Amino acid sequence: MSTPLFHEQNARQRIAAIIDAGSFDELLPPPERITSPYLAQLGIPVSFDDGLVIGRAKIDGKKVYLAAQVGQFVGGAVGEIHGAKLTGLFMAATRDRIPCIIIIESGGVRLHEGSTGEIAIAETMRAIFECRARKVPTIAVIGSDIGAYGGMGILSTCCDFRIMTEHGRLGISGPIVIEKWMGKKAYDSANRALVWKTSGGKTKYLLGDADLLVHDAASAVRDGIAKLLAKSRAVTLKAVKVRHKELADRLKRLGGTSAADELWKRLGIRDIEAASLASGPEFVAVAKGGKAGRL
Amino acid sequence: MEMFEKAFPSEPLKAKTSKPWALAGVVGSGNLEVLFERGSRPAGTMECRVETSIPGYKSSWLAALGDFARNYPVGGTKVTIHDQGAPPVLVSLRLRQAYDHLIKADR
Repeated sequence: MSTPLFHEQNARQRIAAIIDAGSFDELLPPPERITSPYLAQLGIPVSFDDGLVIGRAKIDGKKVYLAAQVGQFVGGAVGEIHGAKLTGLFMAATRDRIPCIIIIESGGVRLHEGSTGEIAIAETMRAIFECRARKVPTIAVIGSDIGAYGGMGILSTCCDFRIMTEHGRLGISGPIVIEKWMGKKAYDSANRALVWKTSGGKTKYLLGDADLLVHDAASAVRDGIAKLLAKSRAVTLKAVKVRHKELADRLKRLGGTSAADELWKRLGIRDIEAASLASGPEFVAVAKGGKAGRL
Repeated sequence: MEMFEKAFPSEPLKAKTSKPWALAGVVGSGNLEVLFERGSRPAGTMECRVETSIPGYKSSWLAALGDFARNYPVGGTKVTIHDQGAPPVLVSLRLRQAYDHLIKADR
């Protein structure tokens, strides 16, 4: 049997596939049964790990803290326990000065658990910025169809770097939510090409929201992580102001586009078809060939 | 939600690996997760605990689990299941997967 693609793997398989063999030491593993106190009250079965696998591991011999979300369990949504595990992991990373990597597969906050999920996201954001203040690298990997939406989309952009595959999607409001508010004419959530061309990994790479675009394979994700493990980006007032300017420029330059292909063209893609068929590094090459202006 | 527990007689676990637990499956629609744990339990029984979102199928569950305990040497283990409406054939498959993970090196 051939190795499954990264987007086909589950959380535990993804972790096993990107780390040095046998180096994973899971924190709060399933036998500890740290499960959601709310779901049971609503008649929804709980999961042993509350949809988040966390632990210590090594990548290329270097120590890392690692988290992977289980997208199949309530859409990878962040509840109180799930969020507390996430916050704690980044806090441990700050304490031990060890890079922290999160493999995201989540629609955002778990609405069943009310504000506890929202608070957990806020606390995790704080913990990520603590990491960054101490130059501890934080990396988000977005490579599944569920992608990173809502609170998890925001959280991923708080990390130093984002690694995406073309399967990954990144955004705040999901496609169905946008369609509900803006109407099917403005945004048809059933149009997969449109959805991926606006929020998929390739577009996010062109926009500069993703730092690396890699093949849909655990080995490619691993290589990407290895490249970024020693790097961090300082959060300074100057850097934030520069980013605000970039975003204002982006809005000015792209705000008027209403079609996905037009967006790609304005980002410098000359041959839309070739770019659509290209994957990972090949897409990066096509983008550069067209002198795609990363904003 | 429905929850029940029952112990089934089974041949003692033969595998010599020291792995304390193994997991298979995920709590998703039409799916379930199975956790196998070994420990200081009576060597001749498989203890089971099932939590399912679909009430009313206790007899089917007990039949499937009893079958498994008869066909595999799983005495001395505890099986915990979180179910979200998995069909019976998937229950048997996940039990086998978790058992395979427990007695082999990979998780």
